[in-house]
Amino acid sequence: MEDYPPVELDRKGNGEAMSNASDSPKGSVLVVGGGIAGVQAALDLADSGFYVHLIEKSSAIGGRMSQLDKTFPTNDCSACILSPKLVECGRHLNINLMTLSEVMALEGEEGAFTATIRQNPRYVDPAKCIACGTCAEKCPKKVPNEFDLGLGKRKAIYLKYPQAVPLKYAIDPDQCIWLRRPGRCGMCQKVCPSGAINFDDQPRQIHIEVGSVILALGFSPFDPSILDFTGYGRLPNVVTAMEFERLLSPSGPCLGHMERPSDHKEPRRIAWLQCVGSRDINRACHGYCSSVCCMYAIKQAVIAREHTQGPDLSTSIFFMDMRTHGKEFETYYDRARAEGVSFHRCRVHSILPAGHDDNLLLRYVGDDGRIKQEEFDLVVLSVGLEMDKQAAELARRLGVELDPNNFVATGAFRPVSTNRPGVCVCGAAAEPKDIPQSVMEASASALEASRLLAPARWSETQKKEYPEERNVWAEPPRIGVFVCSCGINIASVIDVAAVTDYARTLPGVVFAQNNLFTCSQDTINQMAETIKREGLNRVVVASCTPRTHEPLFQETLRDAGINKFLFEMANIRDQDSWVHQGFPDEATQKAKDLVRMAVAKVQQDEALAYNTVPVVKRALVLGAGVAGMTAALSIADQGIPVVLVERKDRLGGHARKFYRTWQGDLVQGYLAGLCQRVEEHPQIDLHLETTVEKVEGSVGQFETHLSDGSKVLHGTAIIAIGAGSHKPREGRWNYLYGRHPEVHVLLELDKRFIKEDPALKEKNQTVFILCAGSRVPEKPYCSRVCCTHAIDQALHLKELNPNMEIFMLYRDIRTYGEKERLYQKARENGIVFIRYDLDNVPKVWEEQGNIHVEVKDPILDRPVRLHPDMLVLATAVRPKIDADVVSRAFKCSMNSDRFFLEAHMKLRPVDFATDGIFMAGLCHYPKPMDETIAQAKAAAARASIILAQDAIPAESITAVVEQRKCVGCGVCTMVCAYNAIQLDENSSLARVDTAMCKGCGACVAGCRSDAVTLKNIGNEQIMAAIEATMETY
Amino acid sequence: MDPAPEKDQKWEPKIIAFLCNWCSYAGADLAGVSRFQYPPNIRIIRVPCSGRVSANMILDALKAGADGILVSGCHPGDCHYISGNLYARRRFALLKNLLEFIGIEPERINFSWISASEGEQFAELVTKITTRIKTVGPTKRLVKKIG
Amino acid sequence: METLFSQATEAIKREARALLESGEVAAFLGFAKGSIPTVTRPFVARSPEETDKLIWNGLCVMNLANYLPGLLKSLEPARRPGEPPPEGPLPKVGVIATGCWSRNMVIQIQENQLIRERLVILGIDSPGMIDRRKLESLAGGKEIQAIEEAEKKVVISGKGFRLETARQEVLRDNCLTCTHPSPVILDKKIGPTMPERHVHEPFARIEEIERMDADSRWAWFQKEIECCIRCYACRNACPLCYCPTCFVDDSHPQWVGKSVDPVDTAIFHILRAYHCAGRCTDCGACESACPMGIKMRLFTRKLQKDCLELFASEPGLDINSPLPLTTYGPEDPERFIINGSKQQGTQGGK
Repeated sequence: MEDYPPVELDRKGNGEAMSNASDSPKGSVLVVGGGIAGVQAALDLADSGFYVHLIEKSSAIGGRMSQLDKTFPTNDCSACILSPKLVECGRHLNINLMTLSEVMALEGEEGAFTATIRQNPRYVDPAKCIACGTCAEKCPKKVPNEFDLGLGKRKAIYLKYPQAVPLKYAIDPDQCIWLRRPGRCGMCQKVCPSGAINFDDQPRQIHIEVGSVILALGFSPFDPSILDFTGYGRLPNVVTAMEFERLLSPSGPCLGHMERPSDHKEPRRIAWLQCVGSRDINRACHGYCSSVCCMYAIKQAVIAREHTQGPDLSTSIFFMDMRTHGKEFETYYDRARAEGVSFHRCRVHSILPAGHDDNLLLRYVGDDGRIKQEEFDLVVLSVGLEMDKQAAELARRLGVELDPNNFVATGAFRPVSTNRPGVCVCGAAAEPKDIPQSVMEASASALEASRLLAPARWSETQKKEYPEERNVWAEPPRIGVFVCSCGINIASVIDVAAVTDYARTLPGVVFAQNNLFTCSQDTINQMAETIKREGLNRVVVASCTPRTHEPLFQETLRDAGINKFLFEMANIRDQDSWVHQGFPDEATQKAKDLVRMAVAKVQQDEALAYNTVPVVKRALVLGAGVAGMTAALSIADQGIPVVLVERKDRLGGHARKFYRTWQGDLVQGYLAGLCQRVEEHPQIDLHLETTVEKVEGSVGQFETHLSDGSKVLHGTAIIAIGAGSHKPREGRWNYLYGRHPEVHVLLELDKRFIKEDPALKEKNQTVFILCAGSRVPEKPYCSRVCCTHAIDQALHLKELNPNMEIFMLYRDIRTYGEKERLYQKARENGIVFIRYDLDNVPKVWEEQGNIHVEVKDPILDRPVRLHPDMLVLATAVRPKIDADVVSRAFKCSMNSDRFFLEAHMKLRPVDFATDGIFMAGLCHYPKPMDETIAQAKAAAARASIILAQDAIPAESITAVVEQRKCVGCGVCTMVCAYNAIQLDENSSLARVDTAMCKGCGACVAGCRSDAVTLKNIGNEQIMAAIEATMETY
Repeated sequence: MDPAPEKDQKWEPKIIAFLCNWCSYAGADLAGVSRFQYPPNIRIIRVPCSGRVSANMILDALKAGADGILVSGCHPGDCHYISGNLYARRRFALLKNLLEFIGIEPERINFSWISASEGEQFAELVTKITTRIKTVGPTKRLVKKIG
Repeated sequence: METLFSQATEAIKREARALLESGEVAAFLGFAKGSIPTVTRPFVARSPEETDKLIWNGLCVMNLANYLPGLLKSLEPARRPGEPPPEGPLPKVGVIATGCWSRNMVIQIQENQLIRERLVILGIDSPGMIDRRKLESLAGGKEIQAIEEAEKKVVISGKGFRLETARQEVLRDNCLTCTHPSPVILDKKIGPTMPERHVHEPFARIEEIERMDADSRWAWFQKEIECCIRCYACRNACPLCYCPTCFVDDSHPQWVGKSVDPVDTAIFHILRAYHCAGRCTDCGACESACPMGIKMRLFTRKLQKDCLELFASEPGLDINSPLPLTTYGPEDPERFIINGSKQQGTQGGK
């Protein structure tokens, strides 16, 4: 099986690898690296029927993300959103988690690899360790804590971090007194209540057989010690961004109080220096851009301002180009400016001691070209991302090729494949990237890794068996309340101890407890134990939002033999401590009220059945551009039928207009091959010139009516309807477009490249205007691709005519990641970059058929006049007009820029909030070819999880009719959007079809007789909550 | 975003909000995630859809002594359940008018659309209605006093 | 004296007798004399002979639609829950219907409480019905022993008094503002067709209350319901109230307390009215039935006004247009919605 017909070799010399995998491949996959990418890949694989061995070299999974305080652009607490995934991974029946392990060798080939794993000793028996922490408390050896980057201390026996998965202590053999000199200490062994310490633990070598391998090797933060000008290592108050994350983090060395290292005082003036170890070839660091530092610096500035009590924190970011090129990033940047974060466009050349109070003096060249200096209390170095040295060695050991920047080499058309067939890569190991991009690639790599293993699906997995549920119907309520501190997210505002004490006084409550992190694996395990020990039959967790954490806790109830619907959450974080920060008393009172409401409601809850819906094993893919075709092929190649619907009369979409990718691969040849494969694929049913008219049903059982009259039954849908490029025919950003033949938008120039227009060689001067109508109030977002695309076009023009003068008028150059290479090359090739800002936008006019451009050069501080033969406008990528129609048909939302809105910005980047529908490509946000392909594969991977199963869980909270009260008026049947409630032919009374009911409750509110109710959200439960709300008043 | 000054410093209104799970409750979560501050007077009850909210529930909340009510759902066209909010819109239009007609202060009964991405708007809304409810003082009408 | 009413009474008797004699209907629902001259009572004639008791006059104020579902059910053979209905046509009932009653029948058909085919409707244009209380107050507390009704006037008499008044003066409030006196569904017409009425300000009283401030409205509302004894006569008289268990009687959930607590009474009236939203035809049966003279019709009238203004919906006029709370319009007014969105601003709205 081959993915695509032979294509031109890409810049790294890798064509799509042909495979000769065995006919009976293994049904398991090796995932190397337990960061967010590895965890996501493992979960996607395990959920879609493959057994996963997840290898992590440290003592716990979580990777870099677990060290972060908050994440941009939503300011979500990193640990909070990550923790459920880690716990899920740790508990997953089909994930074999191997910590303290390394891959030593990989033999065999795709479909049948044998990996040699070395598992280093933990010296603590994980089966016995209860993570009580007594060992660490008594251990006499204090050492710097690498999780806090040495800012804090840990003991020689330690837990990597509070929410670590697995939640098991480990002994650091380099630091342990006993292990270095046996017989000398052994304190931990003496105090361990469960006898878990085993000093005789030995390394083990394990051979495992897998069908494919995913490398999720992550990155290392750049070490700025080698950059003398920063003073890092000499000046205590110069810290790296990673260190600053720990200083901000509630679980960090100063418990979230934000202290500077030298004197533990709260800094009043903080500076961030961008591009430390990135975009820097002079000082022998790295030429590439690290992609994420601009955003994390803004985030840190915003969060730092939140941390300080007073408004007088000064936050300054020193940068070259502000690279806020992701979804909602530009808005975040705008908001940070509005909130008072200062931005200075300059490169700081030295950081000096101020000579007093451990303060620092920054010297830099200001906008006016003069040297300035400014004093700060703390300087944060926005260090770049680089390939981890050990990871690079591992890659070499496995025969995986690296690129010149030492990242794993991939190609534009195969973004998650390495040169070695069957070995995939995802996350920052292939190029610096942010979390959503890593997660997307993780899903894509899961798809790629399982592509050839489809015949072996479910062959090595096990099925989860829950203990039989205790029938608690006749028992009096025995409610347990777990109050979460969420580190300090809740506890810093709300008096959690008081809330816990209060919970104990509530009727039916027999147990209440406060936890630092209720979602951490130990607390979860302990909760299950408590339920059993205390004979609890109902549970309330007062913590964050049920929208993210309810499933985790409900699962715990099931594990403890209690029906999962005997559970309620009190949202005392998102809807309390975070929104009433200045009102601790009121917030505490509110928390008590919310707990009381939850307790009142849980008393009324009943055990419900676990319903399922059979899955129609067919996918609908909407849009036959590169994203849609890739997604369709990815699913069809697994033997699952796909209906591919395209509005236009031909395949290819937007990509038909593209000349080449930023990596230099010609697009049209690739596209032709892709189209041919789609047309010839036996599993793909293609509907051209067709649109979606109506969508009924829901995940597992969609029924879609197409404009050609056909009706498609499908289990999932992937929306890949693409986007267009804005054509500024009128208005402020017109720039002669449509009025002068030599004014183009980017893709129009690509068309001339594709046609090999000889006239291009004759041009003497070309001007590009970047951000032409982008990043302006009427189109506030950054289109992500235009800087790179325009620069690559400029380079191609130079290839055509090396003497051509080329001017780039720009606001910020956003050649993120390894695309920076093009920017460097452009400057080397004499392309002139002139920056403008919104106060001085370029003027363009026509005189006697000639184009005139005037722009103010900020360095010369005077206007420059240009007379180009050709003017190219980098206009915005704009959403399709019919996105609205699709959004309405599929009931999926869009953001304010009218791009489709994912279920979660960070961790669910291809899922819609509506189950069973996924997105890929430009309709999600502008992105280059490699990212589009990765996202399409990710969407296919997510859809495959559903399509791989015969039935998926269905709504348990459904409407139910009390026949005695029903009068058969039929109001409920009229207001039901799903035809789930009908009048019975015989009795003439209402009857609910549970499989069709979505549990919205429209019928309940419509029924005058109270004959219809919603299970566990019935009138009784709501009344209980209402009355409980008011009890103290 | 401090609560507005009030004559009776001790009295703070208590507001019961029925928020749909998919949009408004998510919007309220987003307000938290984004740290948009609002007055602590509101108590949120999560319901699947604004279409689940009945007149009975609103009256029950008033009877229990809520000084204000907020019902919020998805914007028209965004309903996770296709049309629940549109039925709700009709029900609420009639109910709100009826309650005002019999003398319930209009400030107490509030309906809105808040999407999952409108954290800031949610905080603004709560601030606004809290302030408005403060101007009409503690609820007396329709409050059932027990004992 | 030959009047509109005596003519109609005769016609009703004749038609009812014919229907029963031919066996087309198993029963005929009309009115018979009450225990005192100012009261009539609904009456079911089950044999041709019994039709002699039927009467028709301005005091026939109870809405006959209210009795139809039960009457029809009583004529069906008994069956267990879930058993299929018997095959073949079921017995029919003849009934008198004025404008508002017929509209109630339409709603009952829409809500599956009636089968049109089982009804033989004698349609009669309503001349406007008389408010017993207005007659009583005219009599100044003296016992009314006889009433004579003509097209334009009413004469009441008793011991030592005989008073004449214009009919218009003693009509029920709902009849004064009624615009559709003619039945919308019928099988046979009795009596002359009344012209469609043009009421100058049909909602004048509602608008008057709306113009008051909240405190005054609350005072009015409290005053209006303070004498309520929770006898539920209003509910029982209402052709829209046919829940097997009314919310006031339900204890699971118990939305309303059972006592005469003023709050429970208020909530009873609010919810009772709200349950009639978009369905009430303003037949006035509730007020006519109320022993305490509470004008609870104003609450439903307010809802009627809003349904008309907001959704252009008049209940029962068209059997094919859904009741307003079982449908929606994409552009329904929503000026009352506090819109959280900055980008979208407020939409729609009148």
